[in-house]
Amino acid sequence: MAAPLVLVVLAAVTVRAALFRSSLAAFIAERVEVASPLNAWKRVVEGLALLDLGVSPYSGAVFHETPLIIYLFHFLIEYAELVFMITDVLTAVALYLAIQDFNKVVFKKQKLLIELDKYAPDVAELIQTPMEMHYIPLKVALFYLLNPYTVMSCVAKSTCAINNSVIAFFILATIKGSAFLSAVFLALATYQSLYPLTLFAPALLYLLQRQFIPIKLKSKSFWLYTMQYASLYLCSLVVIICLSFFLLNSWDFIPSVYGFILSVPDLTPNIGLFWYFFAEMFEHFSLFFVCVFQINVFFYTIPLAIKLKEHPVFFMFVQIAIISIFKSYPTVGDIALYMAFLPVWSHLYRFLRNIFILSCVLIFCSFLFPVLWHLWIYAGSANSNFYYAITLTFNIGQILLISDYFYAFLRREYYLTHGLHLTRQDGTEAMLVLK
Amino acid sequence: AALPGVSRASVATAVLLLSCCGAALAGGVQDQAEQFFRSGHTNNWAVLVCTSRFWFNYRHVANTLSVYRSVKRLGIPDSHIVLMLADDMACNPRNPKPATVFSHKNMELNVYGDDVEVDYRSYEVTVENFLRVLTGRIPPSTPRSKRLLSDDRSNILIYMTGHGGNGFLKFQDSEEITNVELADAFEQMWQKRRYNELLFIIDTCQGASMYERFYSPNIMALASSQVGEDSLSHQPDLGIGVHLMDRYTFYVLEFLEEIHPASQTNMNDLFQVCPKSLCVSTPGHRTDLFQRDPQNVLITDFFGSVRKVEITTETISLDRDLAAFESKFPEDELATEPLKYAEQLPVAQIIHQKPKQKDWHPPGGFILGLWALIIMVFFKTYGIKHMKHVF
Repeated sequence: MAAPLVLVVLAAVTVRAALFRSSLAAFIAERVEVASPLNAWKRVVEGLALLDLGVSPYSGAVFHETPLIIYLFHFLIEYAELVFMITDVLTAVALYLAIQDFNKVVFKKQKLLIELDKYAPDVAELIQTPMEMHYIPLKVALFYLLNPYTVMSCVAKSTCAINNSVIAFFILATIKGSAFLSAVFLALATYQSLYPLTLFAPALLYLLQRQFIPIKLKSKSFWLYTMQYASLYLCSLVVIICLSFFLLNSWDFIPSVYGFILSVPDLTPNIGLFWYFFAEMFEHFSLFFVCVFQINVFFYTIPLAIKLKEHPVFFMFVQIAIISIFKSYPTVGDIALYMAFLPVWSHLYRFLRNIFILSCVLIFCSFLFPVLWHLWIYAGSANSNFYYAITLTFNIGQILLISDYFYAFLRREYYLTHGLHLTRQDGTEAMLVLK
Repeated sequence: AALPGVSRASVATAVLLLSCCGAALAGGVQDQAEQFFRSGHTNNWAVLVCTSRFWFNYRHVANTLSVYRSVKRLGIPDSHIVLMLADDMACNPRNPKPATVFSHKNMELNVYGDDVEVDYRSYEVTVENFLRVLTGRIPPSTPRSKRLLSDDRSNILIYMTGHGGNGFLKFQDSEEITNVELADAFEQMWQKRRYNELLFIIDTCQGASMYERFYSPNIMALASSQVGEDSLSHQPDLGIGVHLMDRYTFYVLEFLEEIHPASQTNMNDLFQVCPKSLCVSTPGHRTDLFQRDPQNVLITDFFGSVRKVEITTETISLDRDLAAFESKFPEDELATEPLKYAEQLPVAQIIHQKPKQKDWHPPGGFILGLWALIIMVFFKTYGIKHMKHVF
């Protein structure tokens, strides 16, 4: 499978290189949907220029990247385009390897459950075969590399690509089973943007499953492993933060990066939900609503952990999607990451109910974003409500997509154990609903 | 020897009469001298504002232009008049008689003429510009003709017309000025000593509401109608197709046509202009803030620029002052040569400047720590046995 992957990678690199050379690069780089105050390339250059002038890059609210990014780009700033292309390729390769391993795990588990007769007799058509699962890793790499969102994000040189690659390596490390590497990459991802903290739970669940430790609250081995993993994670996070201190000999980066992510002072429009609310809110309510909005991101972890404890990778997918919808400064690069996973759940296609409408909504809204931006900012015949309407519709589309997949997944699991033809107690046909 | 036939008493009476006449004459001169100092102003200004646009508001432009014409005729020059017209009626495509604005029907009186100088025209007539003109808070790039350069000895006539309501006047059909804003603007003018006395005339519906809130001294105000009343227009001209003037201003114009620079007509006569029988609305006025009695205020104190001229029979020598003036500035002791251009720019220094190096480098400790961590992670994952391949 290496050859098709190489071909895909070459095609992706060609597309990106072509776009870098064209005049579209400048246009895409300044679009608010692609570059947010957290990951715009302009701001990285500005921060490095400030550093050259002898001023802390965190002075003034321009630069919100972590010190490790400063270190990375201090030496690589002339090769920025190459760096971003390589990052995208690395992400795709990491996802490819991760999904390959995951498929093996899924297949093994399926075989075990069939031998243990856990499945109902008439669900033959729902069982995944190795034949259909053969091309999934390639499709995942393809989905990530050739997704227009990823291409735009790469051409805009948004550091979201670096965040995505760290998360992809984290997923690879988790699926390979290495708790240490997984903790290190998760710490790195959390250090970059705060929200991957919520991926701690699915990673923990997956590693517990892999170690065959049952998830019972009273079990000692469960708590032991959890403590081990948590301490690995926290220690690496502390080490990375302390190391960052030594780059500039100041703790300036903590309020500039984490304070900025959490308190959302910059209300530039983007594809997220925060900017409009806080633009029209009174000052004395803003703290309360910032807390509410931020809790919203972290809130779904525990319920999802309870429901999806047998299926941690799906949980990871849903969690990444929730992060990219509800985070304070989302961009299309974040969306590209979870969309890369969609081929993994392609067997759920027969259970998806709204996929046509939702894909239409997402595609339409993606085209309407620049149109309404132009109407609002340049033509002056629309206002922020129009743009926010598209933002809302886009996010609703994403949320419905995720919940559709969630429902389809749970439905398939139910059918697997209870059979495809559900009957009620009196023998008539029953229907499954999600409550 | 005493004159025959003239008794002492008659001489005494004659002397008494003469002295009385002299006193009377002296009293007359005294009176005249007092009249000379009656009003404290030395210059006159006029701010004439028409706030409505669109063809059917022709009458408001005609109102303003009539007052402009009277004020110019009575002596205030264009440099002392700020004329703000929100729309151009003379050259409006709907005007059947272009370049004219008539104030009487049958086109008797063209108030436009050849020498109308409009200072704020069309969209420049906004509440902000009007308030800036009054208070003098104008950007430095504004030309002189658009400024109200009054001082504390200026008498200012402010005439406003347009559509108004209870407490506001509408500008350009899109914004309003309220009576509170206007009162505050006048107070700013008072505090900056931008007027000696102010006459405020307004011809709109419910015009009296606009002067209700004034609180600065030396303001006299007239309005065409009380609160709750509408000011009505005078006559339509069927040839032009619109109403040409408002009633109040029409009768004020008629009244002003009788005034000439030397007339002694006072404000009380102006208050009688346009009674309810002619105007249908009740004109109002407000004099409580004004320090002089309206009886003693001449129309020409506000509507004209009547110069007080004093004739003296003494000669005054001006030479003495010049010599004193010249000695104030002594010559410089050191004669400095002017710098040549080339010496001021050290070109050699500029072109040989080296480009700035990138000053910042990450500290060595950081690099060391980072790579040590990376190597540790690598070996922890892949086992120590790879170490011997490296070394």
